[in-house]
Amino acid sequence: MRQFSLTSILSQLLLLFFVIIWIIPTFGLFISSLRDKELLSISGWWTSLTTTEINEIHRMLGMEYQIQENNYYIIKGSIFEDNSGKKITSFGITSKKINEFSIGDIAIFKDNSEVTIDENGNYVWKSKTKFTKKKGKRLFTTSLSPPSFTFDNYKEVLFKEGIGRAFVNTLAVALPSTLIPLIICSFFAYALTWMKFFGRDTLLALIIASLVVPLQMSLIPILTIYNDFGAVFGVAAKSYPGVWMAHTGFGLASTTFLLRNFLKSLPNEMMEAAKVDGASHYDIFLKIILPLSIPAFASIFILQFLWCWNDLLVGLVFLDQVPSEIILTAKLKELLGSRGENWEILTTGAFVSMTVPLFIFFALQRYFIRGLVAGSVKG
Amino acid sequence: MNKFIKILLATITSSFLSFSAFAGGHYTGPDLSGQKVVMFGPWLSPEQEIMREVGAIFEKATGATFEYGGSDSFEQQVMIDLKAGSAADLVVFPQPGLAANAAAMGGLVPLGDDIEQMVLDNYAAGQSWIDLSTYADENGKDQFNAIFFRTNVKSLVWYSPDNFEDNGYEVPSTMEDLIALSDQMVADGNTPWCIGLGSGAATGWPATDWMEDIMLRTHTPDVYDMWVSNEMPFNDPRVLEAMDVFGSFALNDDYVNGGSKAVATTDFRDAPNGLFTSPAECMMHRQASFIPAFFPEGVEAGVDYDFFYFPAFSTKDLGTPVLGAGTLVGATNDNPATLEFIRFLMHPEPHEYWMAKGGFLTPHKGVDGSKYASDTFRKLGEILTGATTFRFDASDLMPGAIGAGSFWTGMVDYTNGKSAKEVADGIQASWDAIK
Amino acid sequence: MSLLNLSFIVLLGILIFVSYFHFSNSFLDSYNRKSNGRFKFENSIRVVIFILPAFIVLFIFILYPVFETVRLSFYDKFGREFVGLYNYKWAIDDPEFRRSILNNLGWLLIVPTFSTFFGLVIANLADRIWWGSIAKSIIFMPMAISFVGAGVIWKFVYEYRGPENTQIGLLNAVIVSFGYEPQAWLTIPIWNNVFLMAIMIWIQTGLALVIFSAALRSIPKEMIEASRIDGASELKIFFSIIVPYLEQTILVIWTLITIIVLRIFDIIFAMTNGEWQTGVLANLMYDWMFRGGGDSGRGSVLAIVIMLGVIPILLWNLYKHKQEQNI
Repeated sequence: MRQFSLTSILSQLLLLFFVIIWIIPTFGLFISSLRDKELLSISGWWTSLTTTEINEIHRMLGMEYQIQENNYYIIKGSIFEDNSGKKITSFGITSKKINEFSIGDIAIFKDNSEVTIDENGNYVWKSKTKFTKKKGKRLFTTSLSPPSFTFDNYKEVLFKEGIGRAFVNTLAVALPSTLIPLIICSFFAYALTWMKFFGRDTLLALIIASLVVPLQMSLIPILTIYNDFGAVFGVAAKSYPGVWMAHTGFGLASTTFLLRNFLKSLPNEMMEAAKVDGASHYDIFLKIILPLSIPAFASIFILQFLWCWNDLLVGLVFLDQVPSEIILTAKLKELLGSRGENWEILTTGAFVSMTVPLFIFFALQRYFIRGLVAGSVKG
Repeated sequence: MNKFIKILLATITSSFLSFSAFAGGHYTGPDLSGQKVVMFGPWLSPEQEIMREVGAIFEKATGATFEYGGSDSFEQQVMIDLKAGSAADLVVFPQPGLAANAAAMGGLVPLGDDIEQMVLDNYAAGQSWIDLSTYADENGKDQFNAIFFRTNVKSLVWYSPDNFEDNGYEVPSTMEDLIALSDQMVADGNTPWCIGLGSGAATGWPATDWMEDIMLRTHTPDVYDMWVSNEMPFNDPRVLEAMDVFGSFALNDDYVNGGSKAVATTDFRDAPNGLFTSPAECMMHRQASFIPAFFPEGVEAGVDYDFFYFPAFSTKDLGTPVLGAGTLVGATNDNPATLEFIRFLMHPEPHEYWMAKGGFLTPHKGVDGSKYASDTFRKLGEILTGATTFRFDASDLMPGAIGAGSFWTGMVDYTNGKSAKEVADGIQASWDAIK
Repeated sequence: MSLLNLSFIVLLGILIFVSYFHFSNSFLDSYNRKSNGRFKFENSIRVVIFILPAFIVLFIFILYPVFETVRLSFYDKFGREFVGLYNYKWAIDDPEFRRSILNNLGWLLIVPTFSTFFGLVIANLADRIWWGSIAKSIIFMPMAISFVGAGVIWKFVYEYRGPENTQIGLLNAVIVSFGYEPQAWLTIPIWNNVFLMAIMIWIQTGLALVIFSAALRSIPKEMIEASRIDGASELKIFFSIIVPYLEQTILVIWTLITIIVLRIFDIIFAMTNGEWQTGVLANLMYDWMFRGGGDSGRGSVLAIVIMLGVIPILLWNLYKHKQEQNI
C-alpha cells in the first residue's frame, strides 16, 4: 500500500536530498571526462551545457607566407581548426587590451600594419612594407565555444598514457590475489572448523589477533625476505607472484574468518554421514562443502577482488613502477600529481579505473552485500 | 675560482668543444641481449618519455631491455626499496644528499675506476663532479658512486618579452629594480609573480630554491656554506632575514597569482602557465632551467618566452651569485648491463638527444653544441661567465631528512602562515634529531 | 613483459596451488585406501596438508613482521644499534606524533559517528519507498571505488583558484556565487581534516547503510504495523522501536568503521600527503620509515602504536560477537 501522506513525501524528499549530495561528486567527474580538454581547466563541469567564453592567444603566420597584392604585402591565415564551432566576439593586438576590437574593426599595429579578422577566425594582415620576421605578431581573441563533448579523452587515455596497460596489470594482480587466498583459506577454514588437532584454538586466536596488524608494519620485513629469496634463487624481488603472496598474506585473516563463520553454519550431520560412508576429508571438501559454499565464495571473491583492485600501497611497494608492472591506482596517483594542466587525462583515467569495480558492484550487488553483512547481523 | 664555477662554466661553454675521448656519432655497446636494466627516478611526464627514448638508443645498440619508472613520492619510495634491497638497477637521485644517504646504507655500488676515468676525461672540471658524487659507504669509506646526468642553472626568471613590451617593462638588473618593477606591475593592474610549490610528496622544494638564491644575495658565500653544513644553525637571524625576503614575494597577495594561499597548492609544473594565458595571470616566474619542458605546447624559446638573471642587491656588494644543481645516476648492483648503461650515459649521444629536446644542460665536453634546442640555452653560458659566486643547491646537499624532508615541509608551512621563527626552529630541530 | 607471458604466469600461479592441494590429498587418499583405511597417520598428515600453506603465509606475512617490528623499535634508524627505549621516548615528546594522534582521534570520533548515523537514517528512509533500492545503490557506490579514485573525484570539489580566476572546484563555485571569497580548503588548519573526513564519510556511509538495511529486515513487521495502526508517528516508531532493536547492530557497525578508520592512510596520502597538519599516524609512520633516509626505529614505534590502538576495539568487538553467539 503506497502512502502519500505528508511524512511519506517528506521522507522521500529527504532521501532525494541525500541521494543528490552523494552522487554529485561522481557525476561531476563523469561529465568532466567527456568534456573538451580545453574547457576542462578553465570552467567547472556545471557550465558544460552552456557556451563558454574562451580567451586565446595566437601567433599569426610569418614572412614566409606573405603574398603581394597591389601595393600591399598580405598574410592570410586562420586561427581555428575547421568545425571548431567557435565564434569570435572580440579581439585585441596587445596583451593589455585583449578585447579592444570587435569583428569587422581594423586593428592597427605600432608599425602601421593592419589586421582584420572574421568571426570564424580567418584573418588578413596587411602591410605596406615587406614582412621580415619569421613569426607573426600575436592576436588575442575572445570567442564563444559551444558545449562540446567528446570521447577523445578516453581514446587518448586508453591507448596512450599507459592506462590501458595498467588496467591489464591490475587484472593480473587482482585475479590471482583473490583466487589464491580463496583456495588456501578454504582448506584452512575447513580444518579449523571440522578437524581436530593440537593447537587448533590457539591458531584460531592467532588468526583473529592478526586482524589487528596494520599493513604498513609488514612492508619492509616482507620486502627484505623477498629480496633474500630473490638473491638465492636468482629472481627479481619485485614481481607479480610477490604481490599475490603479499595480498594473500594481508587477506588471510579476514578471508579465513569469514569462511569459517560460513562453514560453522552448515549442518554437521551431513558431514558425519559422509564420514560414516568412508569419505575422506578431501572427498567431503570437494563433493559436499564446495558446492554448498558457492554463494559464500562469490561474496568473498568480490570483497577481496575489489580490495586488491583498489589497493594502492601494496602495489606501490611490491611492484616496480614501470609501465609493465604499474597498477591503475598507482598510475592514477602519478597522474594526480603531475597532470594538473591535463585534467582530461586525470578525469578519464580515474573513470577507467572505476569501471571494473562499478561493474562488479552493479552486476553482483547481492553477493557483495551478503559478504559484508556476514557476521555483522544475527540470523 | 670556486670549483663549481669551473664545473658550470665548462658545462655550457665547453659543449661547443669536442675534446673528448669519444669519436662522437653513435654509441655502440657490447651484446647484452636478454638482459634487462631497470631505472627508477623522480621524473614523470614529459621527462620520463624522453628518458625512455634515451633508453631506446641503448636498447638498439646492445639488445638489452630498458625500463624506466617514475614517481613523485620518489624520495620515500626509493628508501623502501633500498632498505629492502630491492631497488631498481639504476636510481636517479635528484639530490646528492639523498645519494649520500643511499650510499651510507650500503645501497650503492662503487662505479669503478674506468667510469671514474670517463668522468675525468669527458666532463669539464671532471674532478669537481667526482668530488660531488663521492660518498662514504656503510663502512665509512669514500666511494665514487654516481655520475651526473642532466644539470641545471637555477637563478633565472622567466618572462614573456611580448608582454613586457606591451606594458613598457624593462628587464631589471638589480634586485631593487626587480622589486620596483613588481610594484609597478601591481599598480598597473597586472600580477607580477607565479609561484607554485606543489610536487606530490616533494611539495615545497621550489621554495627552497628561492631561499638559496636569496641567501646568496643577502649574505656572503661562507655564510651559505655554513648554512649547508649546519655549522650555522638554521634558526640563525641571517636565515630568518632571508626567509622574510622570500615572504615579501610569496606572502604578498598582490604579488602572486592566486594570492599567497595558492602558492603551496599550485603544482610547480602548472605555475608557469600563467605567463602564457590571456589575460596573462602573471608576468614573471623564478625557476630553474629545466622548466621549459612544462611550458604549454607550441611556445618557442626566444619568441614566446625568455629569461633573465635573478638579480642581486646592488647595495649589498655581493656580486652576481648563481645557483645550480644536477641529477645523479647511481647503480645498486654491478651487473654488466647496469654498469654498461652508466658507460652509455657517459657517451655524448644521450646528452645530445636530450639537449635537442630542451631543458637539458651538461658538462660533457664531447657534445655537439649545435644540438642545443635554442639560443636561449646558449645564453645560459653568459650568465655563468658573468657569475662571481657559484653554489650548488643547498637542500640537495643537506642530508635527506632535511633537504628532502623538513626543509620542504617547513617552507610549505611558512607560506601557509607559520612564522619564520617557528619554521626555522622546526627545521633546526630535525637537524638536531639526526646528529 | 608481454601480455602472453603475463597470462601464462597468472595461470601458472593459480595452478600451482590447485595442484598442491589436489595431488597431495589424492595421494594421501589412495595411500590410505591401499592400506585399507588403517593408515595411522592419515588424520595428522591430512591436517598438515590442509593448513600448511595458510600457516606458512600466516607466519611469514603476519607473525614475523610483528616480531621484527617490535625488535626494530628498540634499534636505531638503520636497525643496527640497540638503543633501548630511545625511540619510545622520542615519540612521546615529538609534537608531530601528538598532532597525529589528535588527528586520528578526530577521525575516530567523527567518521564512524556520522557514517553510522547517516547509514541508519537513510536505511530507514529507503526502507519503504519504491525507489529505495536505487537510492541505496547510489549511496553505496562510493564503496566500490579506490581511495585514490575518490581522491580524484573530490579534487574537483575542493579545487582552489585565485579570487580573480574562474573556479572549477564545486565548493568554491558555490561559495563564490554567494559572494564569498574562494578558499584553499585542504590547507585550512583543522578544517582541512574535516574536509578529508567528508570523503571517508561519503564512502563509509554506504557500508553502514547496507548492513542496517539487512538488519531492518529482521525486525518483526507486526510490531511496527501495530504501532502504526495505533497512530504512532514515524519518528516515534523510529526512536522507540527501531533504534533499541538495532542497538547491537549500531555498535557493531560503529566499531567496524572505527577499525577501518584507525588504519586510514590512502586518502590523506593521495590528497595532501599529510601536509598542512592533516597527517595521521599511518602517514607519519610511512614518512619516518621511508622519507629522507628512513628511520626504522621510529617508524616501528609508530606501527606498534597503530596496532595497539586497534587491539582494544577489536577485542571488544569479538567479545560482543562471542556474547551474541552464546545467547
